[in-house]
Amino acid sequence: MHNKDSTCWNCPAIDLAGKVDFRACGQSVEEFRKRMDLEDSGQIVAECKRRPDLGYYDPMSITFKECPEWQKGPYGYLLRDMRVMILGIDGYLGWALALWLGNLGCQVSGVDNYSRRDWIKERGAHTVIPISRMSARLKAAREVLDINLNFREIDILNERERLKEFVDEVKPEAIVHYGECPSAPYSMIDADHAVYVQKNNVLGTLGALFIMRDLVPETSMIKLGTMGEYGTPLTGRPLYEGMFPADAVLTWKEQEWSLGGELTPRDPPSFYHTSKVQDTYNIVEACKYWWLRSYDVMQGVIYGVHTEHVSADPRLRTRLDIDEWFGTVVNRFVAQAIVGIPLTLYGAGEQIRGFMALEDAMQCMTRLIASPPEPGQYAVVNQMSGYHSMRELAKTVAKIGKKEFNLPVNIQRVENPRVESERHPFNPIYENLPKKFGFKPIVSLEEEIYRMFELLTQPNIKSRIEEKKHHIIPKTWWSGEKRKVETIEIFELEREIARSEKKAKSHGQ
Amino acid sequence: MKKKLRVTDSDFEEEVIDSPIPVLVDFWASWCIPSQMMIPVIDKLDKEYDKKVKIRKLNVDQNPKMRNKHKIQGCPTFILFKDGVELMRKVGAQSENQLREIIDSLLWPAEVKKSKKSYKEVKIEK
Repeated sequence: MHNKDSTCWNCPAIDLAGKVDFRACGQSVEEFRKRMDLEDSGQIVAECKRRPDLGYYDPMSITFKECPEWQKGPYGYLLRDMRVMILGIDGYLGWALALWLGNLGCQVSGVDNYSRRDWIKERGAHTVIPISRMSARLKAAREVLDINLNFREIDILNERERLKEFVDEVKPEAIVHYGECPSAPYSMIDADHAVYVQKNNVLGTLGALFIMRDLVPETSMIKLGTMGEYGTPLTGRPLYEGMFPADAVLTWKEQEWSLGGELTPRDPPSFYHTSKVQDTYNIVEACKYWWLRSYDVMQGVIYGVHTEHVSADPRLRTRLDIDEWFGTVVNRFVAQAIVGIPLTLYGAGEQIRGFMALEDAMQCMTRLIASPPEPGQYAVVNQMSGYHSMRELAKTVAKIGKKEFNLPVNIQRVENPRVESERHPFNPIYENLPKKFGFKPIVSLEEEIYRMFELLTQPNIKSRIEEKKHHIIPKTWWSGEKRKVETIEIFELEREIARSEKKAKSHGQ
Repeated sequence: MKKKLRVTDSDFEEEVIDSPIPVLVDFWASWCIPSQMMIPVIDKLDKEYDKKVKIRKLNVDQNPKMRNKHKIQGCPTFILFKDGVELMRKVGAQSENQLREIIDSLLWPAEVKKSKKSYKEVKIEK
């Protein structure tokens, strides 16, 4: 169990307020002397909010393994009936996670203002997997899975007071923050959309941090960032997990300095990604000023439709978008394959990204919730189970579509509406999740793509894809232009496979 | 971090001050990102110096007594103790090489310089 040796020091049920002097370092000499004079320097103590009978005790003396409140589960020790609040519970990931955690015995609460539904409606698109209204979703969760979700409709940016009341009422022991607008193209439509995305994401999160400071400072925030924050540096240097390791050094004029712990450079490729970078800095500062605890999850592209719980009943399904704004690449490719549009690669199509299946993403989040950071700790995980170029992905989708589902799939290159490197090295480090949190991916790319074809080829879903297929080919240019991208070339799958085999052969020689 | 590297207010005297071999102590805090990133380096050095130098870590929030006694004002702070006396102090993240150089040059200055060998090859006289 990856978290068996963690102690009350990590546990959200601890009450450290006023009992530990975190301000001891990095203070002015005067302040420091004053404290030296005042302080008795005895053993530090804390109280447990779940077990008040313990009284004052040493918070490092009880491990998760020893504490009866922490119980063994499939993803490490998990706090009994742990209160987890999901911001953005109505979204693609939020809904799936709510059911996932509910099933593990967590007391799940959540907020949403249905903005994802509104953005999709505004663009004239729809989720191709039909989803129910929230009231019906909650009812289905109760009936089918016996999970009671505590939902409140709240806009975290504009209704901060209401969010505060809800947090005060629930007193969450972990907050998963999915409540942001997750689309690069949406943020690039025009000034209004760019301003909206940045305001919603950056300021919404900033307000939530203040609420945590005032009401639940021992609770961890598991915040969704994106691998896109790093960009794709052409030098091919490693994309570390947020910060430089201590053995990364800066050498200049024959001197050497450790870069350890400094945030690595970011190179966000859209105004949406820029909002995530700003979040990163805001959270780092909040952890530094107030000893909040946070895992910043630099998430790769999530794809897929399956978890045991969302698949349990049609009313429990999570949404799936395939439009140019909110459809992520694998989800879009599968939809294109089904309705006979050649899969679209932007530009050279050699862009490389990290990926993870929906179910594996749920496992990761659970492991992070189960192993909270220490006071003031800001840590980053790069959340991906592997990486692929767009061309490879298109081929994989096309092969499965053709072989297993008898679909005539081709691939096309179109003009690239984005400003990004189309050919670049990619050297991501993603060791924290497997090494520190015991994460092992269990879903392969091929397996999940197969499941997607199975579901999306069902007549009612296929007809929903048909209905909105004109929204798949991009019209949103980073330059501000508004026109459909032109096709550069279409190639047949067989030819493409033969080409890559030939290439592999010549490399072998 | 390896458990055995942890030192606290209560065993600091025994582990560090009374130690027969030199001790490098990393005064660290969970809210300090550079401190966090030093963990693998510290683990590695501990293995490398094995019985020649002891490496220990003290959490400054959990151990206010030693933090105050040694006037720690920034994290991470590295102090090298020999015979209970502070030989050297460095504040801020250090690269692996920097830490190694400090330990080597302070503990075996002449030998290391003369032979141009690493500490591993230099015989230590007690």
